[in-house]
Amino acid sequence: MKYMIMTFGSAEVALATMGREWMLEMIQFMRKLDDDLVKSGEMVSNEGLADGSQAKTVRFENGVPVATDGPFAEAKESLVGYWIVDVDSEERAIEIASRIVAFVKAPIEVRQVMDAPPDF
Amino acid sequence: MESQIESLLRELAPQVLGAMVRRHGQFDACEDAVQEALLAAALQWPGKGVPDNPRSWLATVASRRLVDEWRSDTARRRREESSASLELPVRGQAAQRDDTLALLFMCCHPSLSAPSQLALTLRAVGGLTTSEIARAFMVPESTMAQRISRAKERVKSEGMRFDLPPADERAPRLRVVLHVLYLIFNEGYAASSGPGVLRTDLTTEAIRLTRMVHQLVPEGEVAGLLALMLLTDARRKARTDADGWLVPLADQQRDLWHRPQIDEGIALLTSTLGTVPIGPYQLQAAIAAVHDEASSDSETDWPQILALYEVLERVAPGPVVTLNRAVAVAMVHGPRAGLALLGTLDADDRMAHNHRLEAVRGHLLELAGDVDGARDAYLKAARMTVSIPEQRYLALRAARLRQLAPPADC
Repeated sequence: MKYMIMTFGSAEVALATMGREWMLEMIQFMRKLDDDLVKSGEMVSNEGLADGSQAKTVRFENGVPVATDGPFAEAKESLVGYWIVDVDSEERAIEIASRIVAFVKAPIEVRQVMDAPPDF
Repeated sequence: MESQIESLLRELAPQVLGAMVRRHGQFDACEDAVQEALLAAALQWPGKGVPDNPRSWLATVASRRLVDEWRSDTARRRREESSASLELPVRGQAAQRDDTLALLFMCCHPSLSAPSQLALTLRAVGGLTTSEIARAFMVPESTMAQRISRAKERVKSEGMRFDLPPADERAPRLRVVLHVLYLIFNEGYAASSGPGVLRTDLTTEAIRLTRMVHQLVPEGEVAGLLALMLLTDARRKARTDADGWLVPLADQQRDLWHRPQIDEGIALLTSTLGTVPIGPYQLQAAIAAVHDEASSDSETDWPQILALYEVLERVAPGPVVTLNRAVAVAMVHGPRAGLALLGTLDADDRMAHNHRLEAVRGHLLELAGDVDGARDAYLKAARMTVSIPEQRYLALRAARLRQLAPPADC
């Protein structure tokens, strides 16, 4: 079963509140995590995203698509990165997410990727 | 020609690997060596022709590969010297069968995770390449390579013995093997539509492997699983329409069902009748057979299906069985009776995230004439499912009911 594990946040807030040490530690933590997931044969893909402040949102206005600056949601925190993992169970996906949560101390969303086999 | 060579190679793969592991130990090194021999054969045989004794050709090439591996590792030099001959001993048919079976039990060892069991079985027993397996499961090849090498490490570190399990462990271990084959089939069956056309290869592969196991272990539940796969896969062409939409059993065009496969499934099942105790795969196959035997949906022998579900619920109780029984109850005793049985599942935690409970509820409410309730249930199910074809199908059922219902604001 494939799951997407999503982290939310804001680079701006992180830069303002977290020190250099934390940043280095975080980078190390993420490298180790990625490495472990590759080694366990569970990593499907992972990406980090540019800060939400750099996003463009394309909206449908007056009958035409129009691009504007900024993220889709007004919230300060937006999607900053994700992993897609192929795991044995939902428990395992939650275990991976818990490892991240224990480090970043912020909520993480875990959602199953569609196209699992239907029952017959 | 090439496809004949391919099936020959796939058939020989577990035999050669089994004999190699029996002779040299070292499952992981032997497995790599056999894969390389298979690759060499796939490249050379189409041009040069199939050798007189293909099994021994593969064994020789694989053994040579293994020696090269040992040579590069000085610590193993003594071992090489002590194995004076790399010629594999000629073993009787029975011993060859045991080797293949031992290999299967090893790949489906309970201490491996399910994804590892599936991957290792397809590679070591099925003779598929890592890249083929990766494509089938839609993960990057490097991910699948890691998964396989980790599984092999585990085999090594756990000191798994290359032997048939002792008599008292045999039945539970065989159940794991059958479950792995069932999962491979299910994974492939999912993709008769949608993005993964390649994955239908997995149903074919699962059937091939189960057929092989059935030859090695001609027992009731093995026959039952093979029959279940054949009877289910026989409906593959009718299961989706030209646009890839899921077609429910009741609406399927039955002349698209693959008759020879149905006949084979039924014959297999008949041959196991009278085996005791009867197992869940045999019962599920028997239910599939009743559906497959009906020339139209209205001619389905629902009392027979209900009786089989009652037995299945005694043999292998579980909420999914109850759910299916509720459909049969509805068909025999009316939708309200089915809905009452469904109600008993509402409090079951195991069904809390299962879309099928809501999908079935929608269907039974629709039969009972409760259009609004049916629509709500279908929509709820559509939100819960993780299968794209199922989601489209359920959303369509709900949308169709909206057209039937009177407009809300007049």
